[in-house]
Amino acid sequence: MIDPLFLEGIIKILFVFVLISAGLIISTRNLSSVLTAYTIQSFLLASVSFLLYMIDGKGQLLLLAGLTLASKVILIPYFISRIEEKIRIGRDLHFTYLEPTPSLLLSIGLIILSYTFLSKVFEGLPLSKLFFFGAVIGLSLTLMGMLVVFSRKKVVTKALGYLSMENGVLMFGLFVTELPFIIEVLIIIDLIILVMLTTILAVGMDSSIEEYRQKFRKLQVWTGVESR
Amino acid sequence: MNTSFLLFALLNPLFALLAAPLYMALIRKVKAYAQGRKGPKLFQVYYDLKKLMKKEAVYSPTSSWVMRFTPYLNLSTLLVCSLFVPLVFVPEPAGGLGNIIVFLYLLALERFFTALGGLDAGSTFGGMGSSRSMSLAAVIEPTMVISFAALAFVLKSLNLHKMFALTAGTVLPISPTLVLVSISLFIILIVETGRLPVDNPATHLELTMINEAMILEQTGKNLALLELTHALKQFLLMGILINTILPIGLSTEIDAGKIAVSTFLFLLKAGLLAVIIGLFESAIAKMRLFRLPAFYVMAFFFSAVTILIEVFA
Repeated sequence: MIDPLFLEGIIKILFVFVLISAGLIISTRNLSSVLTAYTIQSFLLASVSFLLYMIDGKGQLLLLAGLTLASKVILIPYFISRIEEKIRIGRDLHFTYLEPTPSLLLSIGLIILSYTFLSKVFEGLPLSKLFFFGAVIGLSLTLMGMLVVFSRKKVVTKALGYLSMENGVLMFGLFVTELPFIIEVLIIIDLIILVMLTTILAVGMDSSIEEYRQKFRKLQVWTGVESR
Repeated sequence: MNTSFLLFALLNPLFALLAAPLYMALIRKVKAYAQGRKGPKLFQVYYDLKKLMKKEAVYSPTSSWVMRFTPYLNLSTLLVCSLFVPLVFVPEPAGGLGNIIVFLYLLALERFFTALGGLDAGSTFGGMGSSRSMSLAAVIEPTMVISFAALAFVLKSLNLHKMFALTAGTVLPISPTLVLVSISLFIILIVETGRLPVDNPATHLELTMINEAMILEQTGKNLALLELTHALKQFLLMGILINTILPIGLSTEIDAGKIAVSTFLFLLKAGLLAVIIGLFESAIAKMRLFRLPAFYVMAFFFSAVTILIEVFA
């Protein structure tokens, strides 16, 4: 059996990497880099869930790790990378309200905000430091994802922001409340549907209905075969 | 002052001075390989320095004492800095040496005089380089202060000797937040030594020059001293990064065997870091001047988050 304290140390290092990936999602302009950052973030969450299983031994955590790995590390990134290929846009250069620099500064504020807020909420509750830390990072990850949804212009990046928000919810769920597994499954199904819708929107958002049908037919998004 | 410190004061600057140019060459070599070239020999930098040392210095008729004085002042400043950063062996802290704030100010002094030297010759390029360097310095300075503050916060001391004495002998970083600080330190290393994506040290193009423009008018011996200063600065910042994040083998006692092992390991780790810097430089393009603050803010973000996490956890 591995020492739980050692595992907690590793979980803390993973937290740091989760924050780094969140910072990258906020500030990177290259679409494929944003996707990579999201994939890594999801993988980190799966690892955190697995390590918590090693400490606690609850089977649900193992299932959650497996589900995260299958859906958010493999399936969703695969779909999104296909969209990125199809729309042939490599970079998201336009930001609606905030440029990357102020959004990074703002996200420092968001982290402080979630810390002060949560420390008030959890005052007097028997929550260990690691779990409190996890909750703070989960909440700030959610807010930072929301920041991405606000500040980015391209649909694909907005979708990635939304997905990273959901990662924050998952993290919060891991450390504070115990979400029933079935709800987690439902959320994942929602996410997959979101990604599918995004595919459709991202391909045809800028055209009229007639053009859109043509475009959609031409690209053959779901079959993967280019038509003549 | 005890013997261990005396030994340190003699050997540390000497070691830094001797080893520093090697890593400039190594980065060049890695970049050359990444571009499919063979690149110059590893010891070419030493030959170049030797050649420059023999050459006569030529001054512009409009230049003043600043230009003659700058190379000597810069190198001596960096040699003093090298007393602040224990590379392979951490002595007992003595006489206030190792204070991180003084270290930052010494670096600022070096930067200031390089900019003055650039202005002094009266050429257009020099002035342009100095103005760019100073405007970027105004942005990077707060980031540097925050990053070093985060480092001091995590390691609970303002003294680099004490910090390294704390990290010495550990295999993993003693705190997860050191990983974050090391990213900031890496960005600072890139910015301070004028490497890609901030500045391209390999070109003499008007569009890209910052550091190169400032030393364009320097010749002969003076140029050699400035090149050496640049190498030394890079080596010291690399030393701080290495001894913070991967201090394995760092020795705290005077023991020939241990110091030898420590030196060998340090050279190896610095080599690894140089390879990483080389690959990093090959992977990214030069950023536009006005987009650079976004790059610095990453360092600022990570350092601020470090301080926050240290407060939370």
